Amino acid sequence: MSAKIQRLAGIDRVIHEPARLMIVALLAAVEEADFQYLRQTTGLTQGNLSAHLSKLEEAGYVAIEKTFRGKYPLTICRLTERGKQVLDNYRKIIKGAL
Amino acid sequence: MTPSSSRLLEENPDRIAGRLLQKAHNRDGLPEIAIGLTFLLLAVLMWTQIAFRRGSLPFKAAIWAGALGIPALMLSSQWIIKKLRGHLLVEKEGYVKLKPANRNQTGIVVAIALVIAVAAIIAAYLGRNSFPPTAWVLAGTGIGGGVLAALAGRIPRFFIGGGIMAATGIALAFSRVSLGVGFMILYGLMGFLSLVSGCVVLLHFLRQPTEPAQ
Repeated sequence: MSAKIQRLAGIDRVIHEPARLMIVALLAAVEEADFQYLRQTTGLTQGNLSAHLSKLEEAGYVAIEKTFRGKYPLTICRLTERGKQVLDNYRKIIKGAL
Repeated sequence: MTPSSSRLLEENPDRIAGRLLQKAHNRDGLPEIAIGLTFLLLAVLMWTQIAFRRGSLPFKAAIWAGALGIPALMLSSQWIIKKLRGHLLVEKEGYVKLKPANRNQTGIVVAIALVIAVAAIIAAYLGRNSFPPTAWVLAGTGIGGGVLAALAGRIPRFFIGGGIMAATGIALAFSRVSLGVGFMILYGLMGFLSLVSGCVVLLHFLRQPTEPAQ
Protein backbone atom coordinates (compact mmCIF):
# COMPACT_ATOMS: atom_id res chain seq x y z
CA MET A 1 0.00 0.00 0.00
CA SER A 2 1.49 3.39 -0.95
CA ALA A 3 2.20 6.06 1.67
CA LYS A 4 -0.37 8.36 0.09
CA ILE A 5 -3.11 5.78 0.51
CA GLN A 6 -1.95 5.05 4.08
CA ARG A 7 -2.39 8.74 4.90
CA LEU A 8 -6.13 8.28 4.28
CA ALA A 9 -6.29 6.41 7.60
CA GLY A 10 -5.39 9.63 9.39
CA ILE A 11 -8.04 11.71 7.67
CA ASP A 12 -10.07 14.08 9.84
CA ARG A 13 -13.35 12.28 10.61
CA VAL A 14 -15.22 15.48 11.45
CA ILE A 15 -14.69 16.89 7.95
CA HIS A 16 -14.86 13.54 6.16
CA GLU A 17 -18.65 13.43 6.22
CA PRO A 18 -20.51 14.62 3.11
CA ALA A 19 -22.75 17.21 4.77
CA ARG A 20 -19.99 18.67 6.93
CA LEU A 21 -17.59 18.68 3.98
CA MET A 22 -20.15 20.70 2.01
CA ILE A 23 -20.52 23.20 4.85
CA VAL A 24 -16.79 23.58 5.39
CA ALA A 25 -16.03 23.82 1.66
CA LEU A 26 -18.71 26.49 1.28
CA LEU A 27 -17.51 28.50 4.28
CA ALA A 28 -13.94 28.32 2.95
CA ALA A 29 -15.10 29.95 -0.29
CA VAL A 30 -16.84 32.91 1.38
CA GLU A 31 -15.95 35.38 4.13
CA GLU A 32 -19.03 34.49 6.20
CA ALA A 33 -22.56 33.17 5.72
CA ASP A 34 -25.64 32.89 7.87
CA PHE A 35 -27.62 29.78 8.78
CA GLN A 36 -30.38 30.46 6.23
CA TYR A 37 -27.89 30.87 3.36
CA LEU A 38 -26.12 27.62 4.32
CA ARG A 39 -29.46 25.80 4.54
CA GLN A 40 -30.64 27.09 1.15
CA THR A 41 -27.33 26.37 -0.55
CA THR A 42 -26.58 22.94 0.88
CA GLY A 43 -30.19 21.71 0.82
CA LEU A 44 -29.89 20.34 4.37
CA THR A 45 -32.82 20.46 6.77
CA GLN A 46 -32.79 22.89 9.69
CA GLY A 47 -32.17 20.12 12.24
CA ASN A 48 -29.47 18.45 10.20
CA LEU A 49 -27.59 21.66 9.53
CA SER A 50 -27.87 22.69 13.17
CA ALA A 51 -26.43 19.36 14.33
CA HIS A 52 -23.54 19.46 11.83
CA LEU A 53 -22.71 23.08 12.70
CA SER A 54 -22.64 22.17 16.41
CA LYS A 55 -20.14 19.38 15.70
CA LEU A 56 -17.97 21.72 13.63
CA GLU A 57 -18.13 24.38 16.35
CA GLU A 58 -17.23 21.82 19.03
CA ALA A 59 -14.21 20.79 16.98
CA GLY A 60 -13.19 24.46 16.70
CA TYR A 61 -13.49 24.53 12.90
CA VAL A 62 -16.41 26.96 12.70
CA ALA A 63 -17.15 30.10 14.73
CA ILE A 64 -20.82 30.98 15.20
CA GLU A 65 -22.07 34.44 16.12
CA LYS A 66 -25.69 35.48 16.71
CA THR A 67 -26.57 38.99 15.60
CA PHE A 68 -29.30 41.07 13.90
CA ARG A 69 -29.62 42.79 10.56
CA GLY A 70 -32.44 45.23 11.20
CA LYS A 71 -35.20 43.04 12.67
CA TYR A 72 -33.89 39.90 11.00
CA PRO A 73 -31.91 37.58 13.31
CA LEU A 74 -28.71 36.23 11.79
CA THR A 75 -26.65 33.24 12.88
CA ILE A 76 -23.37 34.02 11.16
CA CYS A 77 -20.89 31.22 10.57
CA ARG A 78 -17.22 31.60 9.71
CA LEU A 79 -14.43 29.10 9.17
CA THR A 80 -11.77 29.49 11.88
CA GLU A 81 -8.02 29.39 11.20
CA ARG A 82 -8.01 25.84 12.60
CA GLY A 83 -10.84 24.96 10.22
CA LYS A 84 -8.90 26.37 7.25
CA GLN A 85 -5.81 24.36 8.22
CA VAL A 86 -7.78 21.14 8.61
CA LEU A 87 -9.50 21.67 5.24
CA ASP A 88 -6.14 22.37 3.56
CA ASN A 89 -4.73 19.18 5.03
CA TYR A 90 -7.85 17.22 3.97
CA ARG A 91 -7.55 18.63 0.44
CA LYS A 92 -3.89 17.46 0.22
CA ILE A 93 -4.66 13.95 1.49
CA ILE A 94 -7.61 13.48 -0.90
CA LYS A 95 -5.63 14.90 -3.84
CA GLY A 96 -2.72 12.57 -3.08
CA ALA A 97 -4.93 9.50 -2.78
CA LEU A 98 -7.00 10.04 -5.96
CA MET B 1 -23.76 6.45 2.64
CA THR B 2 -25.65 7.22 -0.56
CA PRO B 3 -23.88 6.99 -3.94
CA SER B 4 -24.11 10.77 -4.37
CA SER B 5 -22.61 11.45 -0.97
CA SER B 6 -19.75 9.00 -1.58
CA ARG B 7 -19.05 10.81 -4.87
CA LEU B 8 -18.93 14.07 -2.92
CA LEU B 9 -16.10 12.69 -0.83
CA GLU B 10 -14.05 11.98 -3.94
CA GLU B 11 -14.43 15.55 -5.14
CA ASN B 12 -12.09 18.47 -4.54
CA PRO B 13 -13.67 20.72 -1.83
CA ASP B 14 -13.03 23.79 -4.01
CA ARG B 15 -15.13 22.30 -6.80
CA ILE B 16 -17.93 21.46 -4.35
CA ALA B 17 -17.90 25.07 -3.10
CA GLY B 18 -17.77 26.49 -6.63
CA ARG B 19 -20.77 24.42 -7.69
CA LEU B 20 -22.82 25.35 -4.61
CA LEU B 21 -22.01 29.07 -4.89
CA GLN B 22 -22.90 29.09 -8.59
CA LYS B 23 -26.23 27.42 -7.84
CA ALA B 24 -26.90 29.89 -5.02
CA HIS B 25 -26.02 32.87 -7.22
CA ASN B 26 -28.59 31.93 -9.86
CA ARG B 27 -31.39 30.57 -7.66
CA ASP B 28 -33.45 33.82 -7.49
CA GLY B 29 -33.24 34.73 -11.20
CA LEU B 30 -31.99 38.28 -10.53
CA PRO B 31 -28.73 37.87 -12.53
CA GLU B 32 -30.76 36.66 -15.55
CA ILE B 33 -33.16 39.59 -15.22
CA ALA B 34 -30.20 42.00 -15.20
CA ILE B 35 -28.66 40.31 -18.27
CA GLY B 36 -32.05 40.29 -20.02
CA LEU B 37 -32.59 44.01 -19.41
CA THR B 38 -29.07 44.80 -20.67
CA PHE B 39 -29.60 42.77 -23.85
CA LEU B 40 -33.04 44.33 -24.45
CA LEU B 41 -31.59 47.82 -24.01
CA LEU B 42 -28.87 46.90 -26.52
CA ALA B 43 -31.53 45.70 -28.98
CA VAL B 44 -33.53 48.95 -28.57
CA LEU B 45 -30.36 50.99 -29.17
CA MET B 46 -29.58 48.93 -32.30
CA TRP B 47 -33.15 49.47 -33.54
CA THR B 48 -32.88 53.25 -32.91
CA GLN B 49 -29.70 53.38 -34.99
CA ILE B 50 -31.45 51.52 -37.82
CA ALA B 51 -34.79 53.38 -37.66
CA PHE B 52 -33.49 56.94 -37.43
CA ARG B 53 -31.19 58.66 -39.89
CA ARG B 54 -27.55 59.16 -39.01
CA GLY B 55 -26.98 62.49 -37.24
CA SER B 56 -30.55 62.78 -35.90
CA LEU B 57 -31.14 63.33 -32.16
CA PRO B 58 -32.43 59.77 -31.43
CA PHE B 59 -29.46 58.32 -33.36
CA LYS B 60 -26.97 60.40 -31.35
CA ALA B 61 -28.79 59.58 -28.11
CA ALA B 62 -28.57 55.87 -28.93
CA ILE B 63 -24.83 56.14 -29.59
CA TRP B 64 -24.26 57.92 -26.26
CA ALA B 65 -26.54 55.56 -24.36
CA GLY B 66 -24.66 52.60 -25.86
CA ALA B 67 -21.26 54.08 -25.03
CA LEU B 68 -22.07 55.19 -21.47
CA GLY B 69 -25.31 53.52 -20.38
CA ILE B 70 -24.50 49.89 -21.19
CA PRO B 71 -21.09 49.79 -19.41
CA ALA B 72 -22.62 51.65 -16.44
CA LEU B 73 -25.53 49.18 -16.32
CA MET B 74 -23.19 46.19 -16.54
CA LEU B 75 -20.92 47.54 -13.80
CA SER B 76 -23.73 48.56 -11.47
CA SER B 77 -25.96 45.49 -11.93
CA GLN B 78 -23.99 43.30 -9.47
CA TRP B 79 -24.16 46.08 -6.87
CA ILE B 80 -27.92 46.52 -7.43
CA ILE B 81 -28.51 42.74 -7.14
CA LYS B 82 -26.49 42.66 -3.90
CA LYS B 83 -28.55 45.54 -2.44
CA LEU B 84 -31.86 43.97 -3.52
CA ARG B 85 -30.89 40.66 -1.95
CA GLY B 86 -29.64 42.34 1.22
CA HIS B 87 -32.79 44.43 1.73
CA LEU B 88 -35.68 42.48 0.24
CA LEU B 89 -34.66 38.83 0.01
CA VAL B 90 -32.44 38.32 3.06
CA GLU B 91 -35.16 36.36 4.92
CA LYS B 92 -35.49 33.94 2.01
CA GLU B 93 -31.92 33.78 0.74
CA GLY B 94 -29.99 34.35 3.92
CA TYR B 95 -26.91 36.49 4.28
CA VAL B 96 -23.51 35.89 2.74
CA LYS B 97 -20.39 37.99 2.47
CA LEU B 98 -18.40 36.86 -0.53
CA LYS B 99 -14.65 37.04 -0.88
CA PRO B 100 -13.26 39.56 -3.39
CA ALA B 101 -13.42 38.33 -7.02
CA ASN B 102 -10.95 35.57 -7.74
CA ARG B 103 -8.39 36.88 -10.23
CA ASN B 104 -7.76 33.39 -11.63
CA GLN B 105 -11.42 32.92 -12.55
CA THR B 106 -11.66 36.39 -14.12
CA GLY B 107 -8.49 35.60 -16.08
CA ILE B 108 -9.95 32.32 -17.35
CA VAL B 109 -13.13 34.07 -18.61
CA VAL B 110 -11.06 36.81 -20.32
CA ALA B 111 -8.77 34.15 -21.86
CA ILE B 112 -11.78 32.17 -23.20
CA ALA B 113 -13.30 35.38 -24.65
CA LEU B 114 -9.97 36.19 -26.34
CA VAL B 115 -9.60 32.67 -27.76
CA ILE B 116 -13.15 32.85 -29.19
CA ALA B 117 -12.49 36.32 -30.68
CA VAL B 118 -9.20 35.19 -32.27
CA ALA B 119 -10.84 32.00 -33.60
CA ALA B 120 -13.67 34.13 -35.11
CA ILE B 121 -11.15 36.46 -36.80
CA ILE B 122 -9.16 33.52 -38.21
CA ALA B 123 -12.36 31.80 -39.40
CA ALA B 124 -13.57 35.06 -40.99
CA TYR B 125 -10.24 35.46 -42.78
CA LEU B 126 -10.11 31.87 -44.02
CA GLY B 127 -13.75 31.88 -45.10
CA ARG B 128 -13.87 35.42 -46.51
CA ASN B 129 -14.73 34.12 -49.97
CA SER B 130 -17.68 32.00 -48.87
CA PHE B 131 -19.38 34.40 -46.38
CA PRO B 132 -19.23 38.18 -45.88
CA PRO B 133 -17.45 39.44 -42.70
CA THR B 134 -20.79 40.47 -41.12
CA ALA B 135 -21.94 36.83 -41.21
CA TRP B 136 -18.78 35.73 -39.40
CA VAL B 137 -19.22 38.47 -36.79
CA LEU B 138 -22.83 37.41 -36.12
CA ALA B 139 -21.97 33.72 -35.96
CA GLY B 140 -18.92 34.43 -33.76
CA THR B 141 -20.94 36.62 -31.38
CA GLY B 142 -23.70 34.00 -31.12
CA ILE B 143 -21.32 31.08 -30.55
CA GLY B 144 -18.98 33.04 -28.26
CA GLY B 145 -21.85 34.48 -26.21
CA GLY B 146 -23.47 31.05 -25.98
CA VAL B 147 -20.27 29.37 -24.77
CA LEU B 148 -19.65 32.11 -22.19
CA ALA B 149 -23.27 31.91 -20.95
CA ALA B 150 -23.01 28.13 -20.52
CA LEU B 151 -19.65 28.39 -18.75
CA ALA B 152 -20.80 31.22 -16.50
CA GLY B 153 -24.09 29.58 -15.48
CA ARG B 154 -23.16 25.87 -15.45
CA ILE B 155 -26.81 24.87 -14.91
CA PRO B 156 -29.23 23.38 -17.49
CA ARG B 157 -31.17 26.57 -18.32
CA PHE B 158 -27.89 28.40 -19.05
CA PHE B 159 -26.75 25.56 -21.32
CA ILE B 160 -30.08 25.78 -23.18
CA GLY B 161 -29.82 29.59 -23.39
CA GLY B 162 -26.23 29.33 -24.65
CA GLY B 163 -27.32 26.78 -27.27
CA ILE B 164 -30.16 29.05 -28.46
CA MET B 165 -27.77 32.02 -28.70
CA ALA B 166 -25.23 30.03 -30.73
CA ALA B 167 -27.95 28.63 -33.04
CA THR B 168 -29.46 32.12 -33.53
CA GLY B 169 -26.04 33.58 -34.37
CA ILE B 170 -25.43 30.85 -36.97
CA ALA B 171 -28.94 31.22 -38.45
CA LEU B 172 -28.49 35.00 -38.74
CA ALA B 173 -25.12 34.47 -40.41
CA PHE B 174 -26.76 32.27 -43.08
CA SER B 175 -29.67 34.72 -43.51
CA ARG B 176 -27.25 37.42 -44.72
CA VAL B 177 -28.99 40.22 -42.78
CA SER B 178 -27.07 43.44 -42.09
CA LEU B 179 -24.93 43.62 -38.97
CA GLY B 180 -27.28 46.09 -37.26
CA VAL B 181 -30.40 44.02 -37.88
CA GLY B 182 -28.56 40.82 -36.94
CA PHE B 183 -27.40 42.22 -33.60
CA MET B 184 -30.86 43.68 -32.93
CA ILE B 185 -32.48 40.24 -33.44
CA LEU B 186 -29.76 38.38 -31.50
CA TYR B 187 -29.78 40.74 -28.49
CA GLY B 188 -33.55 41.17 -28.57
CA LEU B 189 -34.24 37.43 -28.57
CA MET B 190 -31.66 36.64 -25.90
CA GLY B 191 -32.77 39.59 -23.77
CA PHE B 192 -36.41 38.51 -23.96
CA LEU B 193 -35.62 34.85 -23.15
CA SER B 194 -33.30 35.79 -20.32
CA LEU B 195 -35.83 38.21 -18.83
CA VAL B 196 -38.68 35.67 -19.02
CA SER B 197 -36.51 32.90 -17.58
CA GLY B 198 -35.29 35.18 -14.76
CA CYS B 199 -38.83 36.32 -13.89
CA VAL B 200 -40.15 32.73 -13.82
CA VAL B 201 -37.28 31.67 -11.53
CA LEU B 202 -37.81 34.71 -9.27
CA LEU B 203 -41.57 34.07 -8.98
CA HIS B 204 -40.94 30.39 -8.20
CA PHE B 205 -38.35 31.41 -5.61
CA LEU B 206 -40.66 33.96 -3.97
CA ARG B 207 -43.47 31.39 -3.75
CA GLN B 208 -41.33 28.99 -1.74
CA PRO B 209 -42.28 29.13 1.94
CA THR B 210 -39.86 31.00 4.19
CA GLU B 211 -38.72 28.93 7.15
CA PRO B 212 -38.16 30.82 10.42
CA ALA B 213 -34.63 32.08 10.96
CA GLN B 214 -32.44 30.30 13.53
